[in-house]
Amino acid sequence: MSFRAVKAGFRQQAIQFITDPQWIIPSLILPFLFTMVMLFIYRDVTGPIVLQAVLGGGVLGMWANTLFASSFTIAYDRMNGTFEPMLCSPTRIFDILLGRSLWNAFIGLLNAILIFIVAELIFGTGLSLMNPIGFFFMLILTLFSLSSVGMLISTSFVFTRMGSFFSSIFEYPIYVLSGALVPITMLPTSLQYISYILPPAWGIDAMKYSAIEGYESMMGVSVYTDILVILILSALFLMASFLVMSKVERRILSDGSATRY
Amino acid sequence: MSETTTLQVLKATAKNSFINKFTLTPPIYWLIQILVVSFFSMYFFVILADYVGNPEVTVTYVVVGNAVQSVAITTLASVSQVPGTEKHTGTLGGLIQTPTPLFTIFLGMSTVGIFTGFCSMLVSLAYAAFIFNVSFAACNFLSVAIIMIFTCLSLTGLGLMVGSVGIHLRTSAIIANIVSYIGLLISGVNFPISYLPDWVQIISNCMPLTYAVEATRSAVNGASLADLWLQIVMMTVLGIIFAIIAWYSFRFFEKKSRISGTSDNF
Repeated sequence: MSFRAVKAGFRQQAIQFITDPQWIIPSLILPFLFTMVMLFIYRDVTGPIVLQAVLGGGVLGMWANTLFASSFTIAYDRMNGTFEPMLCSPTRIFDILLGRSLWNAFIGLLNAILIFIVAELIFGTGLSLMNPIGFFFMLILTLFSLSSVGMLISTSFVFTRMGSFFSSIFEYPIYVLSGALVPITMLPTSLQYISYILPPAWGIDAMKYSAIEGYESMMGVSVYTDILVILILSALFLMASFLVMSKVERRILSDGSATRY
Repeated sequence: MSETTTLQVLKATAKNSFINKFTLTPPIYWLIQILVVSFFSMYFFVILADYVGNPEVTVTYVVVGNAVQSVAITTLASVSQVPGTEKHTGTLGGLIQTPTPLFTIFLGMSTVGIFTGFCSMLVSLAYAAFIFNVSFAACNFLSVAIIMIFTCLSLTGLGLMVGSVGIHLRTSAIIANIVSYIGLLISGVNFPISYLPDWVQIISNCMPLTYAVEATRSAVNGASLADLWLQIVMMTVLGIIFAIIAWYSFRFFEKKSRISGTSDNF
């Protein structure tokens, strides 16, 4: 891995974001609307349920940001004609995307914090976290897990011009399967199995564990098990994305189909 | 422009919109997108309603609301992004040079968006019946069909109004995103609008989607067209108002863009 390329990818993404920061708005809106809908349906409810809704909204925001940033970053390279030079350079696409993903993850974190603040200001949710330091650590870990899924999905954006198709396909399923707003136990058993292989589901579980007093974790495991599973699954997702990306890169270089429309 | 020319432009741009859409996204992927997004967006709120357990917000209530909302998301998002997409691909300048008003061009280009919205609602209603077990035994299908058509048309007016801003701004995607999804919150899709603060309810009453959701729920319960005249009239009136505003808005931004030569500004 070329750390120089990762750093350059991070810097480039940061410059692009600062030049045009309005793109954070779409990834804020939908998760925030979902949180608001949940709070309105609950009406006058307070306590852990409100906290759960707000935390879930924050996670949805992180996911939306990760997904859309991953899809658009490649789509714009294609449109701007910078994708081919990137492919021809000796640097691996994976390294460039990793750097960009790190920036997107950072913005995702700000996105989540922004949702917490806005929810607090509008609803006066009185966010009181049981273990604030532990919660912040779990938030970072959840973000890492979301990014690992985002990295795997972003391989499809390298392969195809239909990035928007894939981003819309993957957006809602993760909202549902991650258990961000509604516990996984509400899903049919077959869908619960899919949730268990998604690292964000464990991340959210760990977040709730450290934020909500008396929270009963997914499958009754301890927070340490959550952390272990997040790390293992995220590493597996990252390895898978590295392997798929290498294959995709080789293929589009061999048949010259990188920017075919 | 003569009437014949306008019709020719509408026909040509409508045809072009389908060619563009299905060249970029093969029909099978387009269909998968509708099937997956419609299902999960509906399912998300179904389990949410189930989990919350508010007796006023039943699964049927949420399913029918989200079936109609799927039209809003698809129609509004695709229609309002048309001008912004032309700008991004560098073809807006060329379109402004033609003698045809931009409104006519973009109205034609919206056809594929309207068609997609219509298909989304059909798919969503099928999910409602076959997966979420919503009873259509009393349903007045003619009323539902007419409401679907009026919903798509009234939202097209709103979409064009929003999209016209895309000629001036760097992109219309962001404002389109806000307008497409705001219905989830303010149009009675997932909970009665009486839950909202009074000032938000005023905005709700200016949204065609609010009437579409209300009318569809009534039609599913057997209401005839005669029972739904008020909602249909309101959708028509709002659709026409939005279309008129869009017409003037397109003219305004078109003129501004010609004078200042900013059609390709980012």
